[in-house]
Order: sequence, then C-alpha cells, then structure tokens
Amino acid sequence: MVGRRAVATWIAWIALMAAATVVMVQMRDAMDQVHVILVYLLLVLGASTAGGRLLAIPLACAGFLLIDFYFQSPFGSITAGKTLDWVALASFLVTAIVATHLLARAQAEAEEADRRAVEIASLARLGSETLSAGRAEDALARIAEVIQTTLGMSECSITPWDGDPTTAASSVAATGIPSAGHKVQRALIPLSVQGRVVGVLRIANAAPVTLDPAQRRFLDAITYYAALGVDRVRLVAEAEHAEALREADRLKDIVLASVSHDLRTPLTTIKALAQSEAMQGNKSAAAIEEQADRLTRLVSDLLDLSRLKGGGYSAIPELNTAEDLIGAAVRQTRGLFGDRPLRTVIDLRSPALVGHFDFSQSLRVLCNLLENAVRYSPVAGSIELAARRENGSLVFTVSDRGPGIDEQDIVRVFEPFYRARSAAPDAGRAGLGLSIARTLAEIQGGSLSYEPRPDGGSVFSLRLPATELRADALEQTA
Amino acid sequence: MPDADLILVIDDEPQIRRAVRDALREVTVRVEEAANGSSGVEAATNGRPDLVVLDLGLPDMAGADVCREIRQRSAVPIIVLSARHSEHEKVDLLNAGADDYVTKPFSVLELAARAKAQIRRAKTLAAAASSAAPVSIGALHIDTVTRKVSRDGTQLHLTPIEWQILATLLAAAGRTLTHQQIFDAVWGRQFGSPQQYLRVHITNLRRKIEIDPAAPQIIITEPGVGYRAELSR
Repeated sequence: MVGRRAVATWIAWIALMAAATVVMVQMRDAMDQVHVILVYLLLVLGASTAGGRLLAIPLACAGFLLIDFYFQSPFGSITAGKTLDWVALASFLVTAIVATHLLARAQAEAEEADRRAVEIASLARLGSETLSAGRAEDALARIAEVIQTTLGMSECSITPWDGDPTTAASSVAATGIPSAGHKVQRALIPLSVQGRVVGVLRIANAAPVTLDPAQRRFLDAITYYAALGVDRVRLVAEAEHAEALREADRLKDIVLASVSHDLRTPLTTIKALAQSEAMQGNKSAAAIEEQADRLTRLVSDLLDLSRLKGGGYSAIPELNTAEDLIGAAVRQTRGLFGDRPLRTVIDLRSPALVGHFDFSQSLRVLCNLLENAVRYSPVAGSIELAARRENGSLVFTVSDRGPGIDEQDIVRVFEPFYRARSAAPDAGRAGLGLSIARTLAEIQGGSLSYEPRPDGGSVFSLRLPATELRADALEQTA
Repeated sequence: MPDADLILVIDDEPQIRRAVRDALREVTVRVEEAANGSSGVEAATNGRPDLVVLDLGLPDMAGADVCREIRQRSAVPIIVLSARHSEHEKVDLLNAGADDYVTKPFSVLELAARAKAQIRRAKTLAAAASSAAPVSIGALHIDTVTRKVSRDGTQLHLTPIEWQILATLLAAAGRTLTHQQIFDAVWGRQFGSPQQYLRVHITNLRRKIEIDPAAPQIIITEPGVGYRAELSR
C-alpha cells in the first residue's frame, strides 16, 4: 500500500516540519507560544490532506514534543512543571488529531462519491448504448467493451445461450459473480432475465486481479444490462425469423395465386374452344372439356390445401339470416340435384332466424354437405336441409338416406384426404371437403358434427352463433 | 346485318379473344377486339358497343380502372372475366361500374346467356327510363308510382325500408348491386347500425313477395357480394 509517492510525501512533510522548527527556534524570543502552536497545527492539517491519518498523527505527536522541547522554558528539556503550558500542549494534540480525523473522513466520502459518479456514468452510458446501438449484436459488443475498460480486464466477451444443456455455457449457470476481495484471473458469469439464463459473460485478465466492493457492485449491475442485451439479441432474432416466415408465407400465396391464374387462363381457352366444338357434336371435344373441368377442380383443391395447412381461411361474421343462407344453398346446388327432391325445413311464421356468421364461408359448408349427400345417397333417397334455433346457436342440418358412416370412421371423415369407401375411385376431388368445411365452421365460432340418422343415413349439423334482435331494432332503422 | 349488336372484347391474350368470340357466335356476328386497357377504353367510347367483355390482368391498366374510365363516358354494360374467385375483387369491380362477373374458365353457354341478358337489360332500361310502368312478375304486381305491391289483387304491406330496397333492386333489375350500393341508395351516406339489418329486411321482404321465401325467385342473393332482382325467367 505504501508506494514510492507516499514515501516522498512523508519525507517532504517531515522536512517541512523540521525547517519550520529551525526557523521558529531562531525567532523564539519574538514569538508568542500561540503562534508556534498555530504553525504546527497548520502543518499537521496540511500533512493530513496530503498523506492521510497515517502521516498526520505521528506529525501531531512530533509537534507536541517539539513544542515542549524547544518552545517552553526551560528550553531544551521535556518537563511537566508548568500546568498552563501543559493545557496548551494537550489542546494542540487533541485539536490536531480531531481535525485530522474529520478531514480524513471528508476525503474518504468525497472519493466514494467520485467512484459512485463514475459507476453511475458508466452504467448510464451502457444503458443508452444498449438502447441506441443499431444492431443488437453491436449493443452486446459495446457492453463488453465498457466492462473491459471499467474493470481493466484484458478480455471480455458476452455469449448468448439458447438453453442447450450440452454447451459449455450450461456449466457456469450455477456459478455466480466472483466475490469481492478474491483474486480473479478468469470468470464465467451467467446472465439471467426473469430467472432464465440467457447468456454468459466471460472476463479474463493476463494477471489475477482483485475486485474491490465497488467493482463487484458494478459487475453486479452491469450483468443485468448484459442480460437484457442478450435477451434483446434473442428477441430480434425471433422477430426476424417470424418476419421471414411471414414473407415466405406471402410469397407462397403469391406463387399459388399466380399459378392458379396462369393455369386458369389456358384452361379457359381449352374449355371454351372444346365446348364450342362439342356443341357441334364432336365427341373428343366433349372429353377434352371434361378433363379441363377436372384440372380446374384440382387447381382449386391445390389452393384449398395450401390454405387449410397455412391457416389461410378468414371469416368476416356479419348479421345474416338462416333463410337467406338456405335460399342461396338451394340455388347454388340446383344443378346438382336435377330432378331429385330437396326438402327445406324452416319455420316461416316465427320471426326470421338471425345469426352472426360469414355468409360465403357458411354457404360453402352447406353446399359441400349437400354435394356429399347427393353423391353418396341413392337417387330415390330424400335429402333434407333444415334450420332451427337451439339455445345460443343456429343449427343447420343436412340429412340423407345414404349408407351412413361406419363407427370407426366417424373421427376420420373430418380429416383431409378421407374418402368414403363407397365413393367412386375417380370422384375427381382430393377429399378435402369436410376438413375444409369444419375449419370454415370453426373460424366463425361454430362447429360441424356428424350423427347417424334414425332409420338409416347421415345427419351433418352446422352450428353457428345466433343473435337476439331487439324487437324495435328494425323499426328504428326505418 | 347492320342491326346486329356490337360486342367489344378487351383481352391481351389472342387465344381468349378467340374463345370469347366463338362463345358469343350465337349472340352476334359483330365482335370488335382490343388488346389492352387504354385502346379498350377508347374503343368503348368511340365504337358505341352494346356490350363490353373485359378480361382482368391487362398489362397496362387495373381492371377496376378500366371499368371506371368506361363508366365515366358510357353506360354500356360491362361483363368482367376473372381468373380469381375472390368476392372482394367482385365487389370492387361492381362498385367500379361493372355489370356482371364471370369466373374463368367459363362455360360458353353461360357467357352467351349472360351477354344476352346484359344486352337486353340495357335496351329495356333505356326504353323504361322515361316511363314508370308497373312491373308484373308472375302474380305479383308492383306499381312504382303509387308504391303499391299486390299479389292476385291482394295488397301486400311493405315497410318504407322494404319498399326502398325493392325499388332500388327493381331499378337495376338483372344487375347485381353490392351491399354498399344498396346501403347508399336506401340509407344515403348515413353511417351506423341501420345498415347491418339489410339482410334481415331482405328476409322479411322475401316473406311478403316470394312464393317460397326459402327458395327465392325474385330477389337473388349473390353470396358475399350483394343482391339482384330478376324479373324475367
């Protein structure tokens, strides 16, 4: 602790005291004792400022002896004969020591305040740099730099940790910040946010160093920033990844849209020209038209499949009526039914059944159910489309007299690519209908379910959220 | 045949122009072609066609813009061909002034039927514009002047809103009106909740004028787009 500079300070102050003593002894007769005491007191205080208590207290004692020896008669000897002089001497000693103590404490507090200020300044710098650095990786590098310069380490690095227990970082998760007073040559410090280890701070120095309490405190605070920085790196990476996924999804949509567009344009020409030919009795042209239709269906199945997998369906629920939906479904499937009867069951005397659902998507579900009913049930079997209100739901049912569904297949009918065993192998569709229908029902807050029909056949039920209209709602709008 | 209807086909693909020309063979022999949007708008303005068949995806102009530009200068019916099934696109085009919409690949018969319907509608509309003649659909009788609706002589009572909706649809009979177009005609530019009841009003109106409200024949729903009145079948 006692360096070369301290020794020089000691020698300087001792020399100064000796010189002052020599000068004052020459002028002894002209000086009052009070002046002598004041000069020594000033010397002791000066020494205290420059060299601390360690220098000041010995000097105070020396001053005590010098005053007694040289400036109190009889000169040249230490005597304790004069009571009043002893009081002056004792006052000198006490004043010198107390003043030294006060000065030393004030100095220590000033130094502590200085250190704190430096600490706060570097943490503030760190905070602002962490926040303002353009890239999260740059922020980490800055934090490492600040730690390195503040602690005077030769190496400092921060490594994000992904939680993989096999990496080296996991082994330090349990160790902590090196405690104050211990010699440190290298240390691995876990960085954690909300109890989760997110990275590792590595510090190393060529020669071992001891961390004082302030540095230890600094390290404690700074690891918090470092952890936040590492977490930011992770969040940025996650955001970039999500952005990349979104972009890929968007590209896929564009590609699918343009593929379907590009396929539809030649299909349009083929179909239109083949149909014109077929109308003039060309059998081959009729076959070409049929296959063009089949390709068209496959193209739309392809689009559906990509939407089904990517969650690309969306619904915009609005106030709609069950009657409107049933009317549209009947109209849309008219061609399919031909002469086959379709019975609709809806109560026309009670106020209209109103619900909150997406009209087009619900229509798609009903048309799909009606198509299936036509495809899988005998020509003579009656098909029924009904709507009713049940608690908070509108329930639409499509019932047929087909073969029904085997019990072990009931769960599978709503899975993609399921096709009933009784279906013709060349039904021309990918078997996505019911899985899409269920998805469309669910995104509107509804459901699609199956139950066997009493006396044979199937009943598919589409449930959609019903709405209660206030009795005066319609009048108010008039 | 100097009196034959003139149809303008705007399409950048020669193959489709040929397919459309073929499909419309039984509608008319006079078909003019334009290969891009700007020459199409010009031909629609100067050539005075009776019908425009417009394919979307032209290299120089968006379909809705072509519709708007033609509509600013002429009332000619426009049928749009689109490769997409998007209702959103359909609504946009109808709002921009298109009269009908056919999805590719289309059936020759369907396109021909729609072309005929649009040409006929435009002609009767021009003739009916001056007269406010009563409309009869089967046993239903609608007097647009006295605002009275009756079936087999029995008077039906419509609310003012129901009458407004019916009159709006009848004035554009044969043409699909988007929900927005009906809102604007019935409620004006009034914002707020009344519009959400449009579908309920339509349902109640159907219960009064349709023979089977669950299989409507007069007011037809165009899913996700709007409604259309059909007078002749």
